[in-house]
Amino acid sequence: MNGAWLQYTTLRIASLLVPSDQRAEWIEEWRSELWYIPQCRATIFCMGAFPDAFWLRRKHCVPVKRIKIRLESPLSCLALLATLAALSIFFAFHMLAPRRTPGSPLKAPDLAGVCIGALTLSCLLLPAAVWVWRPPASRYSVSWSSTLRRGIFLVLKIALLQSIVLCGSIVQILLGPLGTFTGIAGAAAAVLALRWVIADQQRRCPMCLRLLTNPIIIGTPSRTFLEWYGTESTCPHGHGLLHTSEISSSYSRPQWLSLGDSWSALFAKGAARHS
Amino acid sequence: MADAPTLSHTSAMMLQAIEAGHVYGYTVMEVTGLPSGTVYPALRRMERDQLIRSQWERQSVAHAEQRPPRKYYKLSRAGEKTLEAARKRYPLLAKLVAAVEVDDA
Repeated sequence: MNGAWLQYTTLRIASLLVPSDQRAEWIEEWRSELWYIPQCRATIFCMGAFPDAFWLRRKHCVPVKRIKIRLESPLSCLALLATLAALSIFFAFHMLAPRRTPGSPLKAPDLAGVCIGALTLSCLLLPAAVWVWRPPASRYSVSWSSTLRRGIFLVLKIALLQSIVLCGSIVQILLGPLGTFTGIAGAAAAVLALRWVIADQQRRCPMCLRLLTNPIIIGTPSRTFLEWYGTESTCPHGHGLLHTSEISSSYSRPQWLSLGDSWSALFAKGAARHS
Repeated sequence: MADAPTLSHTSAMMLQAIEAGHVYGYTVMEVTGLPSGTVYPALRRMERDQLIRSQWERQSVAHAEQRPPRKYYKLSRAGEKTLEAARKRYPLLAKLVAAVEVDDA
């Protein structure tokens, strides 16, 4: 009798995992099956109710919609970076304000060190920025205004990122003394963020600055020495195609193939979806 | 046959057991030697994938035999096709379940 009580209690506890609309039938099924199980194996049998109930619970759960940050348009990309920069500046000043006392843990050399670090990073970035600013090689030259717009976009991105890195470093110092691990982690995060800025710039259409879509790999690695091998991406607004070589070299640049107005009808649906 | 889903060995064994006439959850456990925590969720999964169908026994039949009614399972058309494909993938499947049946007898 005691055993039966234990088994029914086990089933009752497991049933709490089952969605309420299926609970009555679920417990009835397990109880009816339990009737046929020899007493010596009944408790082990009832333990199997937990995986079963858990599976029903998982199946019943509605998948949570993932928040997708859309960075296709240059304005949304800048808006995101500006929001992050504003938040980091707010936190840095908020934490800095009550500590303007003689016993403040943030010493002048610390702040100067952070600023010098950020400045050095900017100087190191300069050659990469100039390299990325150059428009891709094209048979038809990209207009002067497009090149300028591309440059302004890149400068704004780097400036916003620098402020995030700088304020993030200040917050990190204010939170506690910089250990070796936190220092390395902070530097690595800054380098990764800069790498993203450069990669993002190279993945954008030189005309409208929107992210290129539909990357297609052309060629095979075995023909690397004989033929071109790389990725072709398309501007969602139909401005052209960008051919990026899989093995980048110092003497070759991505090739931009401008598409004429006759192609615009083909891209109209895609442009509407991306805008 | 190309569109038949690929079954794991465990699921294939359970389908084979149901086809062999072991239509209750507990008897599937007995024949396959799998624990209840594997068999019951797998039965639900296969029912969701429409490989098997479940049905409650009639109350009158169970009452006449003075026992609670049970839920029994049977293969659907898709389940039969899938089992056929699984038998080609696991040639010893039929013998495995049949051998346990002989032992039971």
